[in-house]
Amino acid sequence: METFLQQLANGLTIGSMFALVALGYTMVYGVMRLINFAHGDMVAASAFVGLTVYTQVMGQASSLFAVIAIFMLTAGLMACVGVILERVAYRPLRTAPRLSAVVSALGASLVIQNGIMLIWGPRMRIFPELVPQHYWHFGGVVISLIQVLILVISLVLMVALYLFIEKTRIGAAVRASSIDQDAARLMGINVNNIIALIFVIGSSLGAIGGLFIGLYYRGITFNMGWQYGLYAFIAAILGGIGNIPGAMLGGMLLGLFSAFISGYVSSTWADAFTFMLLIFILIVRPTGLLGERVAEKV
Amino acid sequence: MKKLSLVSLLVFLVVMAILPHLLDTRWQTVAVTFLVFSVVALSQDIVLGKAGMFNMGQAMFFGMGAYVTAILNSHFGWPIVATVPVAIVAPVLLGIVLAAPIVHLRGDYLLVVTIGFNIVFVQVLINNLGGVTGGPNGIFGIDPLRLFGFELSSQVAIYYYAFAVLLLTLAIMINLDKSKVGRALHYLREDPLAAESIGINTRLYKIFAFGLGAGIAGLAGSVFATQYSAVSPEAFEFIQSVLFFSIVLVGGSSIPGVLIGVFVMFVLPEIFREFSTWRFFVFGFAMILTMILRPRGIWPATFGKIPKFLIKEPKNGG
Repeated sequence: METFLQQLANGLTIGSMFALVALGYTMVYGVMRLINFAHGDMVAASAFVGLTVYTQVMGQASSLFAVIAIFMLTAGLMACVGVILERVAYRPLRTAPRLSAVVSALGASLVIQNGIMLIWGPRMRIFPELVPQHYWHFGGVVISLIQVLILVISLVLMVALYLFIEKTRIGAAVRASSIDQDAARLMGINVNNIIALIFVIGSSLGAIGGLFIGLYYRGITFNMGWQYGLYAFIAAILGGIGNIPGAMLGGMLLGLFSAFISGYVSSTWADAFTFMLLIFILIVRPTGLLGERVAEKV
Repeated sequence: MKKLSLVSLLVFLVVMAILPHLLDTRWQTVAVTFLVFSVVALSQDIVLGKAGMFNMGQAMFFGMGAYVTAILNSHFGWPIVATVPVAIVAPVLLGIVLAAPIVHLRGDYLLVVTIGFNIVFVQVLINNLGGVTGGPNGIFGIDPLRLFGFELSSQVAIYYYAFAVLLLTLAIMINLDKSKVGRALHYLREDPLAAESIGINTRLYKIFAFGLGAGIAGLAGSVFATQYSAVSPEAFEFIQSVLFFSIVLVGGSSIPGVLIGVFVMFVLPEIFREFSTWRFFVFGFAMILTMILRPRGIWPATFGKIPKFLIKEPKNGG
């Protein structure tokens, strides 16, 4: 029982990080039908940007105000990088064959990953301890302040995003563009602006996810983007790619799944089990858990 | 045009035949790996370029061929020659078994499933399933190839072995383009629905493409294992599949295109080795730029004798 509760807490924490990153994949895929392979590296980059903002801009202060400022600054910077990425690597290829954009995304991933290495070096860096180490003990179950914060902030952000997409006019424009770009354009929606907006939202949520990864795991490396990116991408597919609540659900489920596998089975096989789950889901229900039935045959 | 391609093929063959004698040992190793990677990239081209299936797991079949040779040689004492047929057949069977339930998946989903296969495969190798894969360190001390009493252990000898394998692959590729199967694959890539409705068994041909690609990659893997006389899991990681995937798309889905792709994506980084920290940074930009300037690759595929005005450029996606 203790193991169960402990892994539940761990699973929800890593699940909410996966979900934040997965939102970036799923929103871009929803509108552009493109797997943004550079997103994982953007997440990794944001952890490093956060580190630099902390040491250079904030003068290593870790008051509540400073921490909020670090998050806002990093998210803002990464949003700019996301918009630039879209302008440089994806917009020129919007009418090109689908695979050309995939290769361009892989190229962008290489650029960002090696850019991190050139700026911050190839060795592992330790992310600063921005949140005080505080633990609650419930019997044998240990829950840290960081875990609670990650879970709560992620949930707040996801609910806010959901309301934004479902209830506002701009949100309606995003949904319209993801259903049919040409029709949306005919209705007077500026699809280019919507795509830029998607990259702003996706990159800043991914940046917050990246900072959480830094806070939770502490060690950050230049090439960690692929690992977390792949997991988040699986989360997006699990929930039904292109579907925003699906990415949240998929992230949580994947977090719980991998936590229980490492808790009960073995951590060396965790990746293999996760990918077998993915393959199974795709064979049985390719549209994911919440994916709508699309006319296009999958 | 036909004459030109014949002449350029001859020039290429002659240059490749005398190449190892012009290089020092380090570049001989690079040249052998170039040949091996060319074979894998051509096998990837069958699945990705010819049949149009988004496969990002070709390193798995490559790795399987290498590991079959390594395991049969070091644990069971088979001579290398005897392991080669198994290194071809085993990946073919694996390819058919894995492809059968997934070939109906649409582009991106197929891509993710093949990534998944590759990652599970590497985890199986690292966790030393069955105690034969040697775990994270892999297997060392694989015998050299012995053929008709000669021991092919120098890099030059292995170069010619790999070259022979490449020639065999090229022959398969050229014949494939002219055959019924090649036409079926081409049609099925251009329009699967139309292909299905005129009676092409799309499922069968897709599985066939996977199996053929897997077999060729397995053969290349066997050569790779004998070249280094060692195998280890990191040579077959999924990032390697990404390399083969990019090679075909950057080069273009034609024989010269794939070879140019291997040169650009593998040999050039070796040449610029001294700029180690910068080279992949620049490479990423080069990949983006290539795709913007030549979305269908440096040397795109042409098929049959279709007049130019009849070829409709796809507006959205391909």
